[in-house]
Amino acid sequence: MPETIYTLFHETAWPVALALAWVAGELGHRWLALPRISSYGIVGFLMGSAQGGLLPDPNGGSVTFLADVAFGLILFELGYRINLRWVRANPWLGVTSVLEACGSFVAVFFIAHWFAVPLVPALLLAALAMSTSPAAVLRVANELHSSGQVTERTLHLSAFNCVLAVIAFKIVMGYWVLSGAGSVFQALWSSLVVLLVSASLGALFGVAVPALLRALGGMDRSATVAFAVAVLVLTAFTHALKFSPLLATLAFGLVARHRRVLLSQAQRNFGALGDLLTMLLFVFVAASLHWKNAIAGIELALAVIAARMAVKVAVTTLLARLGGITWRKGFLTGLALTPQSVFVIVLLEQSRHLGLDLLNEVAAIAAIVFVLEVVGPLVTQRALIWAGEAPEDGED
Amino acid sequence: MALEPFKASDALTMGVELELQLVNPTDLDLSASAMDMLHLLERSRFPGDVKPEITESMIEIATDVHTRHDQLLAQLRQMRDTLVAAGDRLNVGVCGGGTHPFQHWSHQRIFARPRFKELSALYGYLAKQFTVFGQHVHIGCGSPDEGLFLLHALNRYLPHFIALSASSPFSQGVDTLFDTARLNSVFAFPLSGRAPFILNWSAFEQDYFAKMEKTGVVKSMKDFYWDIRPKPEYGTIELRVCDTPLTVERAAALACYLQALCRMLLAGEEPPPAADDYLVYNYNRFQACRFGLDGTIVQPRNNDNLWLREDILATLRRLEPHAVALGSEAALEDIYRVASAEGNHASYLRMQYADEGGIQGVVDAAVRRFRERSDA
Repeated sequence: MPETIYTLFHETAWPVALALAWVAGELGHRWLALPRISSYGIVGFLMGSAQGGLLPDPNGGSVTFLADVAFGLILFELGYRINLRWVRANPWLGVTSVLEACGSFVAVFFIAHWFAVPLVPALLLAALAMSTSPAAVLRVANELHSSGQVTERTLHLSAFNCVLAVIAFKIVMGYWVLSGAGSVFQALWSSLVVLLVSASLGALFGVAVPALLRALGGMDRSATVAFAVAVLVLTAFTHALKFSPLLATLAFGLVARHRRVLLSQAQRNFGALGDLLTMLLFVFVAASLHWKNAIAGIELALAVIAARMAVKVAVTTLLARLGGITWRKGFLTGLALTPQSVFVIVLLEQSRHLGLDLLNEVAAIAAIVFVLEVVGPLVTQRALIWAGEAPEDGED
Repeated sequence: MALEPFKASDALTMGVELELQLVNPTDLDLSASAMDMLHLLERSRFPGDVKPEITESMIEIATDVHTRHDQLLAQLRQMRDTLVAAGDRLNVGVCGGGTHPFQHWSHQRIFARPRFKELSALYGYLAKQFTVFGQHVHIGCGSPDEGLFLLHALNRYLPHFIALSASSPFSQGVDTLFDTARLNSVFAFPLSGRAPFILNWSAFEQDYFAKMEKTGVVKSMKDFYWDIRPKPEYGTIELRVCDTPLTVERAAALACYLQALCRMLLAGEEPPPAADDYLVYNYNRFQACRFGLDGTIVQPRNNDNLWLREDILATLRRLEPHAVALGSEAALEDIYRVASAEGNHASYLRMQYADEGGIQGVVDAAVRRFRERSDA
């Protein structure tokens, strides 16, 4: 009998966790005005196996794949919202992006060095710090129906700094492979080739899928499902081939947008399917954390978070007026760039096959991920509200 | 607060106000970007006047006072170029059109100004549904009585302006089959429609405005949403039925068509307006809204049925000498092209819908059309 109950718990763990996350998300939203994704993270963390919860260690299983798909959908949507012509019309946006990302890299690298983190993990930590998690900023912006310069710039900077972070990360990985037993070929393969092939695959989808849709006609209705299926296929391919699903889906969205088949407003988040997968993604991310790491690394984590925020806020504020917005909106853009968690976990998950276990090697990462998974969305949410970009009567 | 005195201005001067849409280039939905745009425009010198409108995805521009078509057009083009450049820096698309084809009114954000918040509280969803975009043309009047005379003498020509400017066939994602769906939104307001038939300013002031004010329904002329209303503080009458066209060139042409008409009416080339003219007013207005240039209107004096298109072409012929005197031949040529062959912007948008196969494509086309320098 106890065994049956154990099996039952084991097999229903994920659905139950999702149900709990949903309830927590709604209550946290209603009572504390928390972004829903913050609550999902808390539930995921508490339910994680390391915390004695019900969820089996999700790493490597089919849940990982689903999480990749969920993140792929978000990255596709983000890519779709990026207007590259904007950077040409307003070069200060590009300057801001490069400075805030590279500044974060440098600042975090020195802090990690100060805390005596070995070279390669310190470089990887710095590369991760460049990024802003698109999952959090896009979800929060959609939840608030916000629109305006802080929203637009946060989304664009997030997409750009993710690309920069992936590139930096892969280059460091290449260096790591080379400095170990690996050959030059292996080093190039795990960095440059992976980057190029992933981006090209995404771009190929970006050309092919809109062309297919145009050939079929009647795009208004079927585009959302078609794009969702394409993201699923693309994620499966890049996952199986050990390329970067992350870069591929982002490139897919970017290219598809510039091919001008348009998604309508009603299909943001990929509808209810997207909502469900997002819950899974945020629970998954927090469930991969271990409380011992989260506590052991808290000092370095807080230092990294503070330095990263300081750099991002300083750059966006100083360049605000050159970029055409107020100091205040520049400052709030920097704040809104705080979230980092989902991107980090997914990227690390996708690098696990190389034998890299940064999550357990650098305890601070677990702490950063946990703190920012809960706090990050909240900061973004506040920044958008303070900027006056969210309608007062809230949502839906 | 009594009605302010009517400030006499130079007859036949004109000014144009345009309410424009701010859209997000990604999904082409309305974008609440007025505050960001205004901030950026305040920093550069805007060649005219720019101000917020009731919802945050609208912006209103106004020209100076002009007498000539070329000068009006030059200023409108300058304003257009400044706006487009600001929009490019902020990733915001700017366009004309009387409605946004698929925006959802419940998503609109009311601009944070006391008057707008009051209107929103009073009118509820109507205020948000009022996210429509019009062109207002002011014509200067030498005296208040001249203003009231013109206001009523123009009643027969009102359908011309509706049909020529119509650019809002789509609303809430569907083709409404109207050439201007915008005016249907305006009609929902209790104080919309036409001004009472009074031709004397002091009578208007005492017998109408003072009484209305006493009822507590209105506080100033601003509370009337009439098709044409006097604007005493400017010394003008203001034509408000036009949809914002897709191009500033068309906006200038419409203003000059009105200017030339007023010149003809002031020259006494027509019998004076009569109360019975208004018997057919709403019917004619509906025909113009619904069918555009293909509408059929009833001439109030002899009950003849006229094809609106023909009536405009006939009017243009009568306006020729006036256009020459005002230097607005080019503007009237544009109106001639619209009425004779090219069609209004509502038909242009319907064509885009057919070509692009999607409602977003319509907005995309409107954004592109606004940017480019065109002859019309």
